[in-house]
Amino acid sequence: MNPITRIVEALGPASYVVQAVIASLIGAALLLAFIMGRRAARRRYFGHRDDRTQVLRRQLPDILAGRIMPEAWRRDPLDDRILEEILLDRLEIAGREEAEQIRYCLRISGLLDKRIHQARRRRGWRRLHTLVVLGRMRCPEAIPALAEGLDDGNVQVAIAAARGLGRYAMPEAAEPILERLELKRMFLPANVLQTVLYHCCRDRPSMLLRAIQSTDDQLRPMLARVLAEVASAELGEDLVLIASDPLPEVRASAARAMAGARPRLALAALQQLAADSEWFVRLRAVVALGLLQDPRSIPVLLETLCDPNRFVRLRAAGALSRLEGHEEEILVRAIRARDRYALQALVGEMQRSGAMLAVLNGLADPRRRLRSRRILLAAVRAGAPRLLLDAVLHHANWRVRTQSVRLLAETQDPEVLRLLRFYATDAQRPRERVLLGWLERRLTDSAPAAAELPGPEPQAAPRAPEPATRPEARVPETGGTLVREKR
Amino acid sequence: MNTIILTINDALFLYYLVANLIYAFLLIFAIRETVLHHRMLISIRLERFRASPFSPPVSIIAPAHNEGQSIAQSLRSFLTLDYPSIEVIVVNDGSTDDTLEVLKREFQLLRTDLPYVKEVPCRPVRGIYMSQTEPRLLVVDKEAGGSKADATNAGLNAASSPYVCVLDADSLLEKDALLRIMVPILADPARVIAAGGIVRAVNGSLVEAGQLRKVRLPRRFVEIVQVVEYLRAFLVGREGWSHFNMLMIISGAFGVFRRDLVREVGGYRPEAIGEDFDLVMRMHRRLRDRGIDYRACFVPDPVCWTEVPPNWKSVGRQRSRWQKGMIDTLWPNRDMLFRRRYGRIGAIALPNLWIYEALAPVIELVGLASIVVAALLGILSGRFLVLFLVFGYAFSTMLSIGGVLLEEITFRRYGDWRDVAKLLLCCFAEHFPYHQAHLWWRLRGMWQYLRGDVAWGKMTRVGFSGPAAKSAAR
Repeated sequence: MNPITRIVEALGPASYVVQAVIASLIGAALLLAFIMGRRAARRRYFGHRDDRTQVLRRQLPDILAGRIMPEAWRRDPLDDRILEEILLDRLEIAGREEAEQIRYCLRISGLLDKRIHQARRRRGWRRLHTLVVLGRMRCPEAIPALAEGLDDGNVQVAIAAARGLGRYAMPEAAEPILERLELKRMFLPANVLQTVLYHCCRDRPSMLLRAIQSTDDQLRPMLARVLAEVASAELGEDLVLIASDPLPEVRASAARAMAGARPRLALAALQQLAADSEWFVRLRAVVALGLLQDPRSIPVLLETLCDPNRFVRLRAAGALSRLEGHEEEILVRAIRARDRYALQALVGEMQRSGAMLAVLNGLADPRRRLRSRRILLAAVRAGAPRLLLDAVLHHANWRVRTQSVRLLAETQDPEVLRLLRFYATDAQRPRERVLLGWLERRLTDSAPAAAELPGPEPQAAPRAPEPATRPEARVPETGGTLVREKR
Repeated sequence: MNTIILTINDALFLYYLVANLIYAFLLIFAIRETVLHHRMLISIRLERFRASPFSPPVSIIAPAHNEGQSIAQSLRSFLTLDYPSIEVIVVNDGSTDDTLEVLKREFQLLRTDLPYVKEVPCRPVRGIYMSQTEPRLLVVDKEAGGSKADATNAGLNAASSPYVCVLDADSLLEKDALLRIMVPILADPARVIAAGGIVRAVNGSLVEAGQLRKVRLPRRFVEIVQVVEYLRAFLVGREGWSHFNMLMIISGAFGVFRRDLVREVGGYRPEAIGEDFDLVMRMHRRLRDRGIDYRACFVPDPVCWTEVPPNWKSVGRQRSRWQKGMIDTLWPNRDMLFRRRYGRIGAIALPNLWIYEALAPVIELVGLASIVVAALLGILSGRFLVLFLVFGYAFSTMLSIGGVLLEEITFRRYGDWRDVAKLLLCCFAEHFPYHQAHLWWRLRGMWQYLRGDVAWGKMTRVGFSGPAAKSAAR
C-alpha cells in the first residue's frame, strides 16, 4: 500500500478533513486554471479580432468605393461580422452622403438581405439580435421584416423590433406600429412605444393626431404624450380641438403640445385649461404658459399661484419668475393677493431661477439700482429678508452689501431684527460686523416708532390664511422661513 | 435524551441541506437571469434613454453624517452621472465634523428660502442651501436624527422628481449606473416600483476626482471576505430572489424607488435599524394589501462602490446592526407569515428570512451545543460529524465560488488574475475564523436587540483618497 494512503487511513474520520483540504486545494487550482485558460483564450481571440479590425478599417474606403469586392471579406465569418459592425458604427456618425454609401455597401454585399432573411427565419434571442442589427442598418426595405417582428410572441423580440423601427426615425416606420395599435394587435410597454413613436413621428406629428382620434381610451393618453413632445406649428389649430378631450391625460398633453406648437389660439386655450378641474391639467397648462413667456398670461398665472395644489403653485411661481422685466409688477400683484404661501413660492422660485440674484446684482449698477430696490423691498416684505441678509455677509461685491444693508434698514421690519441675531454670529470680518451693527442700531432706533406707524404699504401685509382652502399654519423652523404645511 | 440529541443532529443536517439547496437553486436562476438580462441589453442603446424626453427625472438623495472626508468626491461622482434629468439632494444629518463647511466651500452654497413641506416625519430642518455653481444640487441641513432613515426622509420631503435614488454619501456610482438601474423601470414603469443595483467594495481600488480609476482587491483578509460575501449576496441571492419577484431587500447604498409610493407608506421609519429592509417590506405589504400587480427588481450591472468596514471590530458592529435590523423589521411584520393575501412573500420569502437569516445564529448555536452534548454522552458518530462538516464546507464553498465565477464570466471587474486567485482562495478560507466570528456578531446583535440597545455604532472611514490613504490607514 502506498505510504501516503496508509497515513491517511490511519487518521480515521479525520482523514475526511485531510481529503477535503486536498480536494479544496485541487479544486481551487483547477478553477484558477480554468479562469486563466479562459482569459488567455479570450485574450487571443480578441487580439486576433482587433488585428482584423485594424486591417478592415484601413481597407474601409476601398470597400465602400467598391475597389475591394464583397466576396473578398464575406467568405470569412469573422471578417463578415467585424465589417458589419464597423459599417453600423460608422453609420451612427455618418453624414447623409456617407450614410448612403454605407447603405449601398450593405445592400450590394448581401448583408442586408442576409439579415432580412434571418429576421424572418430565426426565433428567440437570435431573432432579437438580428432585429437590433436591422434597426441599426436604417434601410427602408427592412421595415416590413421589422414590422413582422412586432407580431412575435416573445415580448423582448417584439420590443427589439419596435426599437429597431424607432431607429429609422421615419414616419413610414411608425405606420406599422400605429396600424397595430389601432387594430389592438400589439401590447408593448408604453414607454417603449412612446420613445419609438417620438423618434418616428417628429417629421409628421399629424399622424399621431389622427391616431388619437381613432384609438381607444387606453392608448390615447400615451399617444397624446408623444404628441406633446413632437408638436410643431404644422398642427395648427387642431391641437385646440384635443384641448377639450374628455380624458384629462389627453387635455394635459394638449396643454404641453401647445407650448411647443404655439398655435394662434394657444393663450386662450391654455387659460381655459389652467382652470381645469384636474390638478395635473392645470399644472401642464401653467408650465406651457410659462414657456410661452407672454406677459398677457400674468393674471392667469397669478391666479394659479394661489391654486389649492402646491405643485401647481410652484410651477406657477416658476413660470412667473421667468418672465423677465416684470418682476416688480408680479411681486406687487402677488402681495396684493394676500396669500403668504403663494408669495413665498414665488420668491423662492425667483431665487432658484437666478432672477433674484440678477436683481441683487443690480444694486451695484446705478442705472438698475432703483428698479432693483423696489423689487427687493417687495421680496423682503413677502417674507424673504434672508436674501438680503445673506447678501450682506456673502456677496462678492461690497457695494451690493452696503446697498442691501440700507434696504434692510428701510424695511423697519422686526423680523429682520430677530434674524440679525443669528447672522451676527456668522460675521467674520470687521467690516461685516460694522455693517450689521449699523443695521441693528437703525432697526432698534426705529422699532418703537415703526410700531406706532401704519405699515409702509398696508396692502402688503399678508392676511392670515383661510383654513378651508389654504394651508393651516406657518411654523418657522429654527430661525428660518421654512414652512410646514398641513392639508 | 439520546433520541432527542440525535433528532436535533438530524434536524440540523436537514436544516443545512435545505439552506444550501435553496442557495443552489437561486444560483441556477441567477445565472439564467443574468444571461437574460445581458440578452435584453442587446436591444437597448442606453444613449437613447439619455436623449429621451420620456426618461423621468430622478432625485438622488445622499444622507451624510460626518462624511467630511469623502463627501466632495462622492458628490462630484453623483453630479457626473449619465442621466437626462437629475437633482442631487445632500442631507447633512447634524454632522459634527466639517461636512457642511466642505460642501459650502466646494460648491459655493447659498442659503435659500425654498419651500419645504414635511410630508414624511423627520427632525427639524435648519436650512436649505443651493449651489451657485451647480444648479442641480440642493443641500438640506437638519438636526441630527440619529439614523439614516430620518435623514433620508428629509431628502424625500425636498425631492421633486417622480423617482428617488437613495444612496450612501460615502459611495461612488459608476457613470452609467443610474441609467442602467432605470432600465427595468423605463421598460415597465407601471409595474416596477423599485430597483436595486449591485454594491461592491471600493477598498483597495484607486479613486481619483470622484471617479474609480482602477479596480483592485483590498489586501486585508477581512475586507476580501466581504467582497466575496457581497458577490454571493448580490449576484446569487438578490438576482435569484428578484427572478421570482420576492426581492425583500434593496440596499440602502443604492436603490431607486417610486417617490409617491415611498411617501404613501410614510417614508423610512426613523427608528428602524435596517431602514432599507423595513421600507421594502412596508411597500410589499401596502401593494399586496391592495392587490396591485407590481415588481421590485434587482439589476446586476449598475455598480455602486462603497467602503466596507476595514477591520474586524467595524465589521462586527455592522453585522450586529444588520442582525438587529433584520429582527426589528421581521417582528412587526410577523402577521404577514403564511397569509394568503401576501402570496409568495408570506409563504416563501418571509419564512426563509426568519429561518435562514434571523434565527440562523440561534439554530447554529443549538446545533453546536447538541454536538457537544452528543460527544459528552458518547453517542456522537465521528464519521457523521466529519462528513457533516465536510458536506457543509463543500456546499457553501461551491456557492461562494458560484458568485465569483458569475462575476468572472459576466462582469469581470477584477482584471488582475492575482485578485481572482485571492477571491477564490477566500471562498475556501472564509469558513474559519470569519464564519465563527460572524456567528458571534449576529448573536450579539440579537442579544443587544432583546436588551433594547438599538444604537448604530461607529464605523471607521478611510475616505477615497486613493491607495495612499488606504495603506496609511492600514
